[in-house]
Amino acid sequence: MNHGTQALVEVRDLTLRFGGVTALADVAFDVGDRQICGLVGPNGAGKSSLFNCVNGYYRPSGGSIRVGGVDVLSVPAHRMVRLGIARTFQHPTLQPDRTVLDNVLLGGHSTLSGTVLSAMLALPGERRRERALVTRARELLDSLGLAGVERTSAGDLPYGSQKRVEIARALLSGPRLLLLDEPASGLTHSEVGEVGELISRIRADHGLTVIVVEHHMGLISAVTDHVVALVSGRKVAEGTAQAVQSDPVVVSAYLGAA
Amino acid sequence: MSVVVDEPAVRDGGGTSRRRHGRTLTAVALVLVFAVFPLFMSPFANLQVTLILVYAVAILGLDILVGWTGQVSLGQSAFFGIGAYGVAAGAVHGWPVWAGLLLGTAVAGVVGCLVAIPAARLRGYALGMITLTLPVVAVPLAKRMEAVTGGAQGLNVTIVQAPAWTGLAADQWRYYVVGVGAAIVFALAAALRRGRFGRAFDAVRVNEALATAQGVHVTRYKVLAFTLSAVYGGVAGVLYVVAVQFISPETLILTLSISMLAGLAIGGLRSLLGCVLGAAFYVVVPNLTGSVSAGQSYLLYGVCLLVVMLLMPRGVAPALGHAVRRVANRRERAAASGE
Repeated sequence: MNHGTQALVEVRDLTLRFGGVTALADVAFDVGDRQICGLVGPNGAGKSSLFNCVNGYYRPSGGSIRVGGVDVLSVPAHRMVRLGIARTFQHPTLQPDRTVLDNVLLGGHSTLSGTVLSAMLALPGERRRERALVTRARELLDSLGLAGVERTSAGDLPYGSQKRVEIARALLSGPRLLLLDEPASGLTHSEVGEVGELISRIRADHGLTVIVVEHHMGLISAVTDHVVALVSGRKVAEGTAQAVQSDPVVVSAYLGAA
Repeated sequence: MSVVVDEPAVRDGGGTSRRRHGRTLTAVALVLVFAVFPLFMSPFANLQVTLILVYAVAILGLDILVGWTGQVSLGQSAFFGIGAYGVAAGAVHGWPVWAGLLLGTAVAGVVGCLVAIPAARLRGYALGMITLTLPVVAVPLAKRMEAVTGGAQGLNVTIVQAPAWTGLAADQWRYYVVGVGAAIVFALAAALRRGRFGRAFDAVRVNEALATAQGVHVTRYKVLAFTLSAVYGGVAGVLYVVAVQFISPETLILTLSISMLAGLAIGGLRSLLGCVLGAAFYVVVPNLTGSVSAGQSYLLYGVCLLVVMLLMPRGVAPALGHAVRRVANRRERAAASGE
């Protein structure tokens, strides 16, 4: 391992097949605790497939993924968030006619308890837990520069702000591992810079480990400690952003040259 | 991020509190109008309003499934029937009304849950087809099980009599009982929608991958929505028997399910007011069209439905809400420029 800390995420011999197509072949890498790991590669390289294996959405055909020592492949997808694994979506996936605050509160779903009946009767315990969650959600909105819009319908926000709401929602579950799916896609040049600062800041504030799938090499260079490059479902390079970007296999894969 | 902080949609200060004040006043006025209405109106008008509230509860149940969770059901009339027969059959056997209420809604919930467990794997047309079988089976079943249901004749019962001290006529007392019952189940649904369950149902509708990533077990929540929807259907059935003192197999036919879906679409999804408006459409418009032309009542009803949906594709309640917000915004702006 080229980073000194202990690994939080261990991916070993990961293979994913869809019928006859091999989306991932024997991919292996580690992500150190509180490190930011970038997944790069041309379209169809298997970045999203890998991302969706780590968040439990796809079940790989072989190999293992351990997060904090737990074999996540034996855990159903809806339990991942309780293991401290949260994700964002490439295209903001919000409830457009709910407020920004409501959208963020959804992220706290796994932290709340209570039955249908206690929710219908709005029992005191239910209301107290909800208030505590609202307080934490407001703090997150504040820290992400969204304080003024908590009552706005999420669908009315500009695209860049919607992506921030996604991050706030993911953070409200109190994750150890945050999976970011193309946080820079669709953003303006200055917004990309802001998102880069944001990622570094939330890593520090929340003690997070981050895996980020991203095409934007500027963002990758700015925030990652460690980059894994995929081409045609195989890991072709690994190391610092600078080293990976100058790797001849990576360069030829991007430019299409032999 | 300056882009965000300067959003014009930021609502703060006097406007919001003024609005909240206005909303409280409106609510108090509505409750007062509702409370004195039956004292001055004809028995027929009272029955109409009572029936609107009955169907509003059933449509609210459908809204939990369709509007909140994004599923579809043509089975709501069957759950309505289970609730109605539960309380009516109980009354025939001398049970108190609360026991019939418990029995009817519990059976509706259990049947709803049992149907939902396999149905939760389906969506769209397939789910519609499965739920279609519920009223198709329920109607002949109600006709055959004569010992319980009174067969094709149905059951006449006398329940929820006005106590003498109230001095109220039967129609007035039933109006209040159904009104209070509807208010309670509406309040329960509103509380459910505000909290984590309401958010989870929304997430299932918007995107199942999103719901899963938040820790929502999608299948479990679909089954839960279906069960709640059935329970609300059952409660509506109980209230129906309170209102009309009668239930027969003709009441739970598929047409009622379809009319409830139409009512939900007319009123508007995910709106408590929408459920009431949709129910009002279902109860009142056929009477109006029937008085215009008895022979072409259904044709005119269909035309009304089409016209409303064309003018307000998201339903009446969202259209009203939009109009009210526009007026309020204009007033606030005028007040702000005047200050």
